[in-house]
Amino acid sequence: MGLEFHKFQKNYESLILLYYTTLFVIKPKGILTNKIFSAKNEALNGEIKMTILEVNNLSAGYEKDHVIRNITFSLKEGEFVSILGRNGSGKSTLIKALQGHLKNVSGKIKIDGQDIISLKPRQLAKKIAYVPQIFNFSFEFGVEEVVLMGRYIHQGRLGSSSSVDLEIIEEVMNLTQISHLKGKRIAHLSGGEQQRVFIARALAQDTPLLFLDEPSSHLDISYQIEIYQILKELQSQKGKTILATEHNINLAIPYSQKLLFLKNGRIHSQGPPEKLITKKNIKSVFKAEVEIRKNLHSMLPEISLNPKLPEIK
Amino acid sequence: MKSKRFKLLLILVVLFFSGLLFSLLEGPVPTNLQDLWDFIIHHDETYSTIFVNLRLSRVVLAFLVGASLSLSGAILQGYFQNPMAGPFVVGVSSGASLGAVLSIYLGLNMQVLGFSLQSIFAFASGFILVSFVYLLSQRKGIFKVETLLLTGIAAGALTSALTSFFIFLKSESFEQAVFWLLGSFALSDWNQITTVFPYFLFCFIIAQWLAKDMNLLVLGDDVAQSLGCSVSQVRKIFLTISTLLAASAVSVSGIIGFVGLIVPHWIRILIGPDHRHLFFFSCLAGGIFLIYSDLLARTLLFPTELPIGIITAGIGAPFFIYLLNQRR
Repeated sequence: MGLEFHKFQKNYESLILLYYTTLFVIKPKGILTNKIFSAKNEALNGEIKMTILEVNNLSAGYEKDHVIRNITFSLKEGEFVSILGRNGSGKSTLIKALQGHLKNVSGKIKIDGQDIISLKPRQLAKKIAYVPQIFNFSFEFGVEEVVLMGRYIHQGRLGSSSSVDLEIIEEVMNLTQISHLKGKRIAHLSGGEQQRVFIARALAQDTPLLFLDEPSSHLDISYQIEIYQILKELQSQKGKTILATEHNINLAIPYSQKLLFLKNGRIHSQGPPEKLITKKNIKSVFKAEVEIRKNLHSMLPEISLNPKLPEIK
Repeated sequence: MKSKRFKLLLILVVLFFSGLLFSLLEGPVPTNLQDLWDFIIHHDETYSTIFVNLRLSRVVLAFLVGASLSLSGAILQGYFQNPMAGPFVVGVSSGASLGAVLSIYLGLNMQVLGFSLQSIFAFASGFILVSFVYLLSQRKGIFKVETLLLTGIAAGALTSALTSFFIFLKSESFEQAVFWLLGSFALSDWNQITTVFPYFLFCFIIAQWLAKDMNLLVLGDDVAQSLGCSVSQVRKIFLTISTLLAASAVSVSGIIGFVGLIVPHWIRILIGPDHRHLFFFSCLAGGIFLIYSDLLARTLLFPTELPIGIITAGIGAPFFIYLLNQRR
């Protein structure tokens, strides 16, 4: 009986496989989806206006040595770009360097044509908002207080929140779906909730650029998708330009217009995910053996791990 | 939060005025409300010295010292993001005390640019000690709070020993050692108030001016900077003014421990962590706490006066142990 069920299951699986193959190869539906997707991409490309961030030959580090070297890339207005690379490849360092947080820096970083060295922290804070990596914050501030901190640069030093500030935080809290967390303390929230509070805080800052350091880290799958859905909405509705570091390659692919591979502090390659995600690139950047498939939903490439399991005899 | 703050303000104002009244009436020369009334309304000169020069100056000084120490503590707790930091714990108080005693030992009774050399010494040694403790408690840029507390306590013990050493070398008087190590307002006069007040006012204004930046620092240095805070500059300013506050307080009253530790912590529990309000309420509550502590020091073993440090430590030390337990 059990054996028969096993047989049936196997048949069932191959049936599904057959169905998808037909769908992919024969049925015009698949091709259509593909077309719609690329048409969408083209429309998005059409909307992209101008370069907002220009990085030229940037090298930077915390102390004497440079951690990242000769970085050259640019962000266009309304673009979503993901930085990928191994642990210690310089992803977080790059995000910090781009905000002028590091002292040992050479090269040029221009925002809207202005060199960031000439900008004071308060001026820079009106251009770039930053969401750090979340690791269980335990401070006593309430959710609204933290979101309101995004408004500080728009207020006087001694001024308190105006009705405009309150309207804005109401809006960003709705956008990030944290309105129900009002009155709670940060320390009492889950990782996903803290992440959304910090994104809301960054939105309240009202900047054209949004930088995120591993927004999906420490989150379960449902939170990961939720965060990226929110980011996508911000991109399409608010026209935000988003730069994020990410470990989950498959999560970055469908949301990014451009990927940036970092290896040992240098740019390995950059470009749209369709071109960049190849077996060769992944092996060269991550030293990992993977298979590349096509995601049947998005029609974009997707990596699948190739674990070397011990054979069971 | 707003109504909570209003309630607390009301309670503190009532406590302040009743504390003021008790302190004016209590003393070696028995006085009552009638005498005070006569003095205020009819300008009866008999009690002028007692009320204004002895008792009022003492209350005002106690308030200013308490406010300075609490503000210093509130700043340090925000700076280190730890409720167990305070001017006494990180070593500012004992460092300042050593500086003040050293200047007396060397017989330096000069004024430099309007500041007494004693307070300059107190400030400098307090600053050196806290920088030393701070440097020792970080390894490769990573800052460890446990190491900070232990280093601060060790450095404090060492400087207290040095302080006692200089006192016994010079005067062989036990009273002076008690004054510098346990604190007292017995020698208060209006001169001391004019020494402390400008420092306090200056530091309070700066702290209030940078209160929002202190809120941002709580989110972490990177985030604070991305929100427009000039982190390294603001940190330097806060470390300087917290040292200045504690040093000026110590230079007129000796070491009064635990005020800077418990008052800001208690206020944070009551009204939340927003430094815009935390700084102000810490000053007010710290001042009131010392007014009542001084009142107890004067009356508990009347006519003998207790060092005020015994009272504040008596209340503060159990509270400190309670905090340690809470954190586990």
